[in-house]
Amino acid sequence: MNLAEGVQLVSLVLLSVMMLAAALGVVLFENIVYSAFTLGAVFISIAGLYILLNADFVSAAQILIYVGAVNVLILFAIMLVNKREAFKPLPRRWIRKISTAFVSLALFTLLATMVLQTNWTVDLSLSPPSSSVETIGLHFFSDYLLPFELASILLLMALVGAVVLARRETIIGEETAIVGEEPAPVLELPERPKEPIA
Amino acid sequence: MLKFLNQVTSYGKESIQAARYIGQGLSVTFDHMKRRPITVQYPYEKLIPSERFRGRIHFEFDKCISCEVCVRVCPINLPVVDWEFNKEIKKKQLKHYSIDFGVCIFCANCVEYCPTNCLSVTEEYELSTFDRHELNFDSVAMGRLPYKVTQDPMVTPIREFAYLPESEIDGHNIDHTESRAGQTPAEIVASTPKPETKEG
Amino acid sequence: MNPGIDLEQRFVETLMELGLTPGVAKTIWLPIPMLLMIIGATVGVLVSVWLERKISAAAQQRIGPEYIGPLGILAPVADGIKLVFKEDVVPANTDPLLFTLGPIMVVIPVFFSYLIVPFGQNILITDLGIGIFFWIALSSIAPIGLLMSGYSSNNKYSLLGGLRAAAQSISYEIPLALAVLAVVMISNSLSTIDIVNQQSGHGIFGWYIFRNPFGFLLFWIAALAECERMPFDLPEAEEELVAGYQTEYAGMKFALFYLGSYVNLVLSSILVAVLYFGGWDLPIPATMIADWINVDPNNAIFELVTAGLGLVMTLLKAYFFLFLAILLRWTVPRVRIDQLLDFGWKFLLPVGLVNLLITAGLKLAFPFAFGG
Repeated sequence: MNLAEGVQLVSLVLLSVMMLAAALGVVLFENIVYSAFTLGAVFISIAGLYILLNADFVSAAQILIYVGAVNVLILFAIMLVNKREAFKPLPRRWIRKISTAFVSLALFTLLATMVLQTNWTVDLSLSPPSSSVETIGLHFFSDYLLPFELASILLLMALVGAVVLARRETIIGEETAIVGEEPAPVLELPERPKEPIA
Repeated sequence: MLKFLNQVTSYGKESIQAARYIGQGLSVTFDHMKRRPITVQYPYEKLIPSERFRGRIHFEFDKCISCEVCVRVCPINLPVVDWEFNKEIKKKQLKHYSIDFGVCIFCANCVEYCPTNCLSVTEEYELSTFDRHELNFDSVAMGRLPYKVTQDPMVTPIREFAYLPESEIDGHNIDHTESRAGQTPAEIVASTPKPETKEG
Repeated sequence: MNPGIDLEQRFVETLMELGLTPGVAKTIWLPIPMLLMIIGATVGVLVSVWLERKISAAAQQRIGPEYIGPLGILAPVADGIKLVFKEDVVPANTDPLLFTLGPIMVVIPVFFSYLIVPFGQNILITDLGIGIFFWIALSSIAPIGLLMSGYSSNNKYSLLGGLRAAAQSISYEIPLALAVLAVVMISNSLSTIDIVNQQSGHGIFGWYIFRNPFGFLLFWIAALAECERMPFDLPEAEEELVAGYQTEYAGMKFALFYLGSYVNLVLSSILVAVLYFGGWDLPIPATMIADWINVDPNNAIFELVTAGLGLVMTLLKAYFFLFLAILLRWTVPRVRIDQLLDFGWKFLLPVGLVNLLITAGLKLAFPFAFGG
């Protein structure tokens, strides 16, 4: 084993341990802010694993999107809604618990069978692509064109949805006036009628 | 469509205008960088106080007649005049006089009203001490004359802006002995014809 | 293309002549550029802090630091020593772990980004294939550190500052990436070395500033916002938020924030030079100079001189932009938070997209000039 292989092995072990520990932290921490921060650690360790797999572009994209955008947004949301509230015991909570356990177990068995059934042997005769960016781009615009375009449509839908939500002007403070005659709808905010855009 | 295009054009024009304003601002800042610093490096350089500077009060013990006018005109009755009536000469005799410069506002009203001119203002402004009680000057401390900035060999005296020669804006560039623009009050007095004295 | 000097190769060869195996020689070489770069970045920070003080003083007609060393060049060193020896205060009711981790999370990615900063054909730590994208990815980690320190300080100003920093960073990352994308489109590569090589050969006229001027403006504005420099220094706006997320910090931890912000500023300035002003290129091509003075371009001394000149050129260009940033600081008033986000999303983003579109169109229309 030469130096490079040793370094790879050590980094693999370190990254895996870090990822597993952080993932456990996400689930087990009582404080939701800690969970969010450890989630960032999970994402960063995954990016490290991508680098070990020669996928430098994917690793950078992982950091940019998951750490830089998703995780920051999660943290942002948590810190904006910094409300401490004691959980009220719900009636028939056991249904929820059992269904959660079922879904988690099913997911676990699915992934486990996938891990066991995949052929993990690496064909060493194939050299890694010289530029991962080019390879990814070629695949995007040839055999993976449909998923790629579908993903862009999904993003467009999310964008339009966000614009619609942001443009909606709700009337705050007026629902108190009509209390008594008619109960205000619970899950709806009264909306100002929209003016036609000139 | 045309309306939208018009909006885009006006928005673009506004952006260019904003960029131009920022450019103008930058050129102003850059111009300021080329100017000489106006800093007066204090312990080594000092500004010469103007002739009507109201600094620490000077007091002459022997001239004081203990009339207490200074106390009455002081906004906060600050001067402490300690006197005793001397029956032999039938006069008030001053025992002690003090002003606390930690409280004084340097309005110099006392100087204005003193009938015997025993009070006067000096140019001294360096009144910092480690203990505020040290600022309570007695008659001896108030009798001391401050060091003149122009006579201190450790200090480079610098003229204030209003006392510079004509077309000069920086005191660093000229000698402090140069006369200022226009006539000094003494020169004005000397040049005016004397009013005719009343006969008889 | 003249490859320039290859320090690594020469170093390894020298060590191998001393009787070491190639593996050992390479292992000895590995940490040297990283250490050099860290030291260089730190010295760069000291220089830029000094410049910031001196130029700010000049813009306000003051003198600035004068007695600490000649012209006060030791003032930042004195600052650093003071911060190192100050008491490390952790206020009551904070979260000590996150409080300590925050500044570290801010500083480490910034120093990591120096991996891809080129000072010459072979004068950089590593020529990653993803080059400039690596920097964009890393710079997106910093807001997590800011949120961390803002949250853990147990102080409303800190929390607000951290939130503002995160919002600002997310908003301005997109125009920044779009501006970089236009450059990448012209040069057909993400690697910083390739980007500079694409600009060289025609002296000053090959630089991307002439091919992509709006991209340059976009990049510069977004980079200023990413560095939280005036007029975008809302996260630490002292009149509103005391010092934002830095409010509760003192001593070494504060020094880390301070260091991080200036390293980031120097880094952004260098990257502006690399992306739009030809990096280590001289305004006149080196081969042309070699022709004039009748020297073989592969002459060892000539190579050494051009490499040194390239390093100086990169730093000169970078420090020019640093100077511009300081000048802007004393010219432009701070924007409001809503104006900041409006500007980012409603002006820079559309302009970035249009810029990208125009660059793509030009690339199709004039493939010889826009790397078709």
